[in-house]
Amino acid sequence: MKRARTALLAVPLALLVPAVAVASSNNQVEISATPQPVEVVPLPCFPSGKLSLGMTNTGRKPTIADLRISADSSLTLSRHQFSSYLPVDQLVKAPLEITVPRGTAPATHSVDLSVGREHLSVPVTIKPVPARDNLLLGEQAVASSTNGDMKLCGGVDGNTDSAQWGASGWHDATKGVFPDTYGVDFVQPTTVGRIVVQTLDSAKYPAAVMGIRDFDVQVRTGTTWTTVGQFRDNVQGFLTVTFAPVAVDAVQLVIHDSNDHGYSRIIELEAYAN
Amino acid sequence: MPTRRSFLSATGAAAALALTGTLPGLDAVGIPHRTDKRPLFTLGVASGDPLPDAVVIWTRLAPGPLEPFGGMDDRTVNVEWEVAEDEYFRRVVRRGTAHARPEYAHTVHVDVRGLRSWRHYFYRFRANGQVSPVGRTRTAPAPADQPAVSLAVASCQAYYDGFYTAYQDVVRRDHDVVLFLGDYIYEVGVGPTAGVRNQPVPVDFAGEIVTLDEYRARYALHKTDPDLQAAHAAAPWIVTLDDHEVEGNWAGYVSEDGVPHDDFVVRRANGFRAYWEHMPLRLDQSPDGPSIRLYRHLRYGRTADLSVLDTRQFRDDQTSTGGWLPPDEVSQDPARTITGDAQERWLLDTLHHSGSRWNVVAQQVAMAQLDRKTGPDLELPMDTWNGYVGSRDRVLCGVRDRQVRNFVVLTGDLHRAVASDLRVNFADPSTPAVGTEFVTTSISSGKDGVDSDATGKALLAENPHVKFQSVQRGYLSCRLDSSQWTSEYRVVDRVVTPGGTASTRATLVVEDGRPGTHLA
Repeated sequence: MKRARTALLAVPLALLVPAVAVASSNNQVEISATPQPVEVVPLPCFPSGKLSLGMTNTGRKPTIADLRISADSSLTLSRHQFSSYLPVDQLVKAPLEITVPRGTAPATHSVDLSVGREHLSVPVTIKPVPARDNLLLGEQAVASSTNGDMKLCGGVDGNTDSAQWGASGWHDATKGVFPDTYGVDFVQPTTVGRIVVQTLDSAKYPAAVMGIRDFDVQVRTGTTWTTVGQFRDNVQGFLTVTFAPVAVDAVQLVIHDSNDHGYSRIIELEAYAN
Repeated sequence: MPTRRSFLSATGAAAALALTGTLPGLDAVGIPHRTDKRPLFTLGVASGDPLPDAVVIWTRLAPGPLEPFGGMDDRTVNVEWEVAEDEYFRRVVRRGTAHARPEYAHTVHVDVRGLRSWRHYFYRFRANGQVSPVGRTRTAPAPADQPAVSLAVASCQAYYDGFYTAYQDVVRRDHDVVLFLGDYIYEVGVGPTAGVRNQPVPVDFAGEIVTLDEYRARYALHKTDPDLQAAHAAAPWIVTLDDHEVEGNWAGYVSEDGVPHDDFVVRRANGFRAYWEHMPLRLDQSPDGPSIRLYRHLRYGRTADLSVLDTRQFRDDQTSTGGWLPPDEVSQDPARTITGDAQERWLLDTLHHSGSRWNVVAQQVAMAQLDRKTGPDLELPMDTWNGYVGSRDRVLCGVRDRQVRNFVVLTGDLHRAVASDLRVNFADPSTPAVGTEFVTTSISSGKDGVDSDATGKALLAENPHVKFQSVQRGYLSCRLDSSQWTSEYRVVDRVVTPGGTASTRATLVVEDGRPGTHLA
């Protein structure tokens, strides 16, 4: 035992591995970002603040690059890192979403991107909240649950195109379990007289197969929910409920079943004053 | 003399990722930083791919494991390592300094050489004045020796589906080596409460992972689990990947979601890179962009030869959706392959030249025919060897023709335990078995299991070569000696809450020289 150990320790430990260079030559990576400037509307679910980050390897060999993303504290970033394998001369992209708190005043900021010694400063313009007929557009969505590959905001992002369902719709995370709820809590009482429900309805996924089937449309005043519309055995993609305009604190759908009995799929929920 | 090995960079430019044998103080690259006083070794330690004189030891520095860059800045950190014969490190036999580099997510891989065969060693790391947990590992037996060997076989550990209770039992039963057969992570989003775990997870984890930073973060999330850390610290692991380490159902350069080729090349490279960074693998296995050499051969003396396969990277695309379907012209096309030609030749050559008692193949997807349709018609899982009948015929006929001794295939993927005889012609129960397949169930994927379901009942009824099945969660605990292979299916009664109880659901044996298995 003793002898074996001594032999092991006698290995010339000072024999150094040759000095070597670091594999990733980060100064051969070009950074890009579109659009510039990127505009941000200070609403939680408004479709703005979306920046496409890019890295292009202009060196002669593939590499691994780590992009660091930073901004001043008034901006909230969906990621602070974008790392990737980079083949030569191929633009590799990743999305970045920038949000700001409700009430943020119009101003210009920047997002700073860096790989090694390469830097790019992307201008960010905070816009005023636009006038909206659809009172739910961009407001904070609330849901009983949201499936991992869907976005909570997908049903109030202004995109009503069922063909873009994967990027812009919402469904719950509890397959085959009902009821599910989806709606918006207003930050102040808001007068609503008409609600429009759009469930998934595309050529590939018709509402009669994949849409919501049995559901109630409700508004809340204080703590009291009132049902203003009720649908059973629905096969349509586009449904409207009209009622005497009333100041409410929240709007929601309570979904009791869908036509595939699996998930509750909403492409857009809208509310109007009349 | 034992010699040092240096790790070279993945791209071929010579980056010393980890050095063995350099003395502390002689190193010129980095000065220890004290930028972060939080614990650095939050992801534990690991070891893997044991040889008679060597083993890889692994760790990662991550003071904020779920934060960008694991909470590290972009500087290289010196990490000292020690390997000792005793857990108190009184008899240190090897030590050195490695570099935890930002371009490798501050992971450390050291290929420790000059060790003695078939004995336990203890290892630890030190950085910034902090000492890692102690890991225990075991080298492989000397080439001429044939001791009894115990091994644990695991797969499919969806984080959000359950707790890793089964690993507590892996540790308790004290295995010489752990084989992990794929789906270490899942690429789909992890919700804000991490599924059944009811643990807050940053919103960054909600989406499907594509970029390298996202794959890295997903490994970090899994590796925060204390039971998984304990299992890595208890024994060396020999690992291979399946589909979810990249994307569900990927095949070669084909993406399940129809991602354009150039984009999928990048994604596959990102998946491979993060995989290698987080696994106790040698430099030989480090990816060159979208290519990784994961199929490899390890020996446990004359007790067992272990061929580790990669049935994802070189396969033809799945027929249709890859689900359970009747066989068709595509699935039976003899030209199709699940291994690629080079790996198939290598496997048959390796089996042919083996001098071991047990010839073990550790791989991903079911090899035995698994018909779940009642009656004469067949319905088979097309993303397994069942969808690549040409490949299966060549391998099983090759095993028969080469008279491969005690051929045992270990498999994951199905989230169900299945033990089968392997035949050249599954349609004819009178033909002799040429080997045995043990499919291990999932550690957690699929949440709590049941003892049997409709598919399980059909598998037993429709496939005379299937000797056992169960849909409980758990792992496979095996013991190989000179007369017998014993497989115990260890199952846990629940995984969606902590504290499940492990027990043996079934014990199956293979007798030396008699292909095929039966319940003990």
